Amino acid sequence: MSAGNSQTGMQSGREVARARRSANRRRLRRAFLAHRGGRWGLGILIFFVALALFAPLLFNRATLSVIHATGLPYQHPSFQYPLGTDESGRSVLARLAWGTRVSLVVGCAATVISMVLGTAVGILGGHFRGPVDTVLNGLSNWFLVIPFLPLAVVMATVLGPSMLNIIIVIGVTSWPGTARIIRAQTLSVEGRPYLERAKALGGSDTHQMVKHVLPNVMPLVLANTTLTVAIAILAETSLSFLGLGNPLEPSWGGILDDAFSNGAVSLGAWWYVLSPGVCVVLVVIAFTLIGRALEQILDPRQSVVA
Amino acid sequence: MTVALPRTRRKAQARRLSMLLGGVLTLAMAPLAASADSGSPAPTGSASAAADTFTIGTTTDVDSLNPFTGIDANAYEIYQLEYPTLTEYAAKDFTTVPGLATSWTESPDHTTWTYKLRDGVKWSDGQPLTSADVVYSFERVLNGQYEQTNYSAYTNDIASVSAPDATTVVFTVKRPSPIMLHLYVYILPKHIWKDISETQVKSYTNEPTPGSPTVGAGAYTVVERQTGQFVRLVANPNYYGGMPRVKNLVFRIYNNPDALGQALKKGEVDYADSLDTNVYNSLANVPGVTRVAATYSGFDEFAFNTGAALKDGTAIGNGNPALKNASFRRAVSWGVDRKTLLERVFNGYGSVGDSIIPPIYQSLHWTPTADELIGYDPVKAGQLLDAAGYKLGTNNLRTTPAGTPLSLRLLGRSDSASSTKAIQYLQGYLTQIGISSTVKLVASDALTEIIGQGNYDIFEWGWVIEPDPNYQLSTFTCGKRSYKDAGQVYADLSDSFYCNPAYDQLFAEQSGITDPVARAVIVKQMQALLYQDSPYIVYANYDDNFAYRSDRWTGFIPQPEQNGVYLFQYGTWSYSSLRPVSAAAVANSGMNLGLVGGGAVLAVLVVGGIVVLGRRRKTATSQDRE
Repeated sequence: MSAGNSQTGMQSGREVARARRSANRRRLRRAFLAHRGGRWGLGILIFFVALALFAPLLFNRATLSVIHATGLPYQHPSFQYPLGTDESGRSVLARLAWGTRVSLVVGCAATVISMVLGTAVGILGGHFRGPVDTVLNGLSNWFLVIPFLPLAVVMATVLGPSMLNIIIVIGVTSWPGTARIIRAQTLSVEGRPYLERAKALGGSDTHQMVKHVLPNVMPLVLANTTLTVAIAILAETSLSFLGLGNPLEPSWGGILDDAFSNGAVSLGAWWYVLSPGVCVVLVVIAFTLIGRALEQILDPRQSVVA
Repeated sequence: MTVALPRTRRKAQARRLSMLLGGVLTLAMAPLAASADSGSPAPTGSASAAADTFTIGTTTDVDSLNPFTGIDANAYEIYQLEYPTLTEYAAKDFTTVPGLATSWTESPDHTTWTYKLRDGVKWSDGQPLTSADVVYSFERVLNGQYEQTNYSAYTNDIASVSAPDATTVVFTVKRPSPIMLHLYVYILPKHIWKDISETQVKSYTNEPTPGSPTVGAGAYTVVERQTGQFVRLVANPNYYGGMPRVKNLVFRIYNNPDALGQALKKGEVDYADSLDTNVYNSLANVPGVTRVAATYSGFDEFAFNTGAALKDGTAIGNGNPALKNASFRRAVSWGVDRKTLLERVFNGYGSVGDSIIPPIYQSLHWTPTADELIGYDPVKAGQLLDAAGYKLGTNNLRTTPAGTPLSLRLLGRSDSASSTKAIQYLQGYLTQIGISSTVKLVASDALTEIIGQGNYDIFEWGWVIEPDPNYQLSTFTCGKRSYKDAGQVYADLSDSFYCNPAYDQLFAEQSGITDPVARAVIVKQMQALLYQDSPYIVYANYDDNFAYRSDRWTGFIPQPEQNGVYLFQYGTWSYSSLRPVSAAAVANSGMNLGLVGGGAVLAVLVVGGIVVLGRRRKTATSQDRE
């Protein structure tokens, strides 16, 4: 009897929570769409995601092979090649479209690693305090003070040029910022009365962290994620440009690397240098706009969503 | 001068990574450098325009000024400017001509060689240069460990060296040896180097200190060096060939090919060496700049793992067994379009490759006849593969005669733009003839290691070949395959693991013939053998592209005579005859300037006239209206 009661009580509790969450999501969506910057960011991003998804339909992968290049080297933009051709006579537009896939995948995958690491370290540190916190905080501080690029360059050189390695390198070098933000938020959440209640009722550490702290820091993680993607894409471009990526994977940084090492600058082949650069800038802006919009909406102090 | 080092490539490779790391280091060390070198002036600045300084721009730094340590081509350029050698290579055709030695004779029984030195030669510090210095320099290599690394190729056949008098040097050889005509061992001043011990020499920099330039007997001596920035040399008044006309020589290092091209345009440098072909193209029509695409002694190849093994024949590595078959390799060779590769990878600067001795060495180069030629014919390649038992499977890919899938691993160098490109082309050509492959790019250092262990199928790389063919030919002998020491496998010179007793016999034969003509016959025979067995697909003999300020400098001597390189030769021919363009030429350019000025004045008058006329008309109409 009592068991049944508590069950119905819990069920209704879950339903209430679910209903509240879906209401929250709806409100979030409305608020986001009302945000001008956010709309722009989303629009740009949808364009690039579509480009990435439809690249195989738009441009035959075989045309990216140097021996099947259809054009002459360094052709100016024309109707046939809207963004000109590269040093081997391949369409720069086709390479860009395929490069979108690599850049977005690397950016997102690296961000996932970075977010998981950063959130875990932040919550663990904020929750346990004491020696655990000292060690984890020390570790993130240590990573924070090492300049990102030299560390990434050294790691990428040691691991060797491949897409997976670039993802790992960016992932494991970009988490400390997130960890610090999440730790601060965890500390503030941990101070709230309901956590004290959970503790008093005998909730385990895992229960407290997963059921109470995590949902509360999640909005912050989300906002931070979009910003980190932007940084990760930029990092991927830098590393590929420095020749540390896999030159056979057509990422934007790789295209820039090719352009520079094949004298596109001296020859004035602006279409070859400029277009990957513009793509990177656009995608980074898109993610930043989305991130800022989410931050504003989710931050209670800015209280767009009351 | 790429004697001791296998695979030195002069071609500038844009390596932004090293540049970046270099930048970090430079920044970190800047305060140190500043405190140590405060007061030392910059080398040239605008002084480059002066007639007494010739500035050479390069994209690679000199790795070491110590001739026992350096392996870079730039370093060898400086060694040969600083130190004399017994004989030299003629600018005209690479034949042996007198250097420090005026004459040399081989004893009739081929056991001793006697060299007569020039009389009254002095080191740059005024000390006399005698046969004692020559004996010292050779003994230092013969008795040394570390000193052997760069020069053993010349001294392997020498048993002993002695000096009967101050201007005579006598060598006893172990066997008849043609290398005695090309003893490129630098003669060092005994009075300086005798104080540097066998252990000290490993870390000895041989760099000048302020006020005391290095001591040499060549055309120039080094007076200043800033790592990563420049090396400055000054003319040696005691040079036996006569003091050069140009007083200062500066090798300035640029971080990337584009920057070097810009520096030449602006007149910051007088000569830009080893230009990237695209940068070279962008320098067309720049006033005052002359571009030269000179025939060069380098080639690039696709090399096969023909069955990796140690010297003793023990198999090593994991190379694909299909590549042991010469007819398979030949079939692949038929599928490679060398002409397109030359056009796309080297922008067409060079010639289509065939043999391992490049055509620049006319007397030694072997050219295939029409019957022997392996051209580009994918259909024929397919037929040959069919005949060898590698039939097309259902998915248009070939299988081994046993019916298992066939796939080759291709390795390119990640630090070379041309290699990265070429290996992608090869993958495309292999696909065309039904061979599946995977491409991997690795750094040059790592590639050397992988090759030595035999863990590859095909890789792309190149060689720079010196005038004497011995070294290059030796890389295909059985004895140059990898070796084992303390359980560890080490790479030797062979990178295709080619081993053919018939070839080895010819190799031994040619290395004992001192008559160049008789030797060339056998050397050509060896090349023909290699061409048919195809351990390499030599796809391009690339050019050396450089440009210089022809409005300021003249008097270069190309080597070889026909379309040769101006600097970075086997010898220092251009430096002695280099001079600023004459006063007459300057006056001529002044006249041109006058013409331009006159033209400008005329243009102003005409335009002004039109404007004035237009105004008048306007005023006229407005007045009419009133």
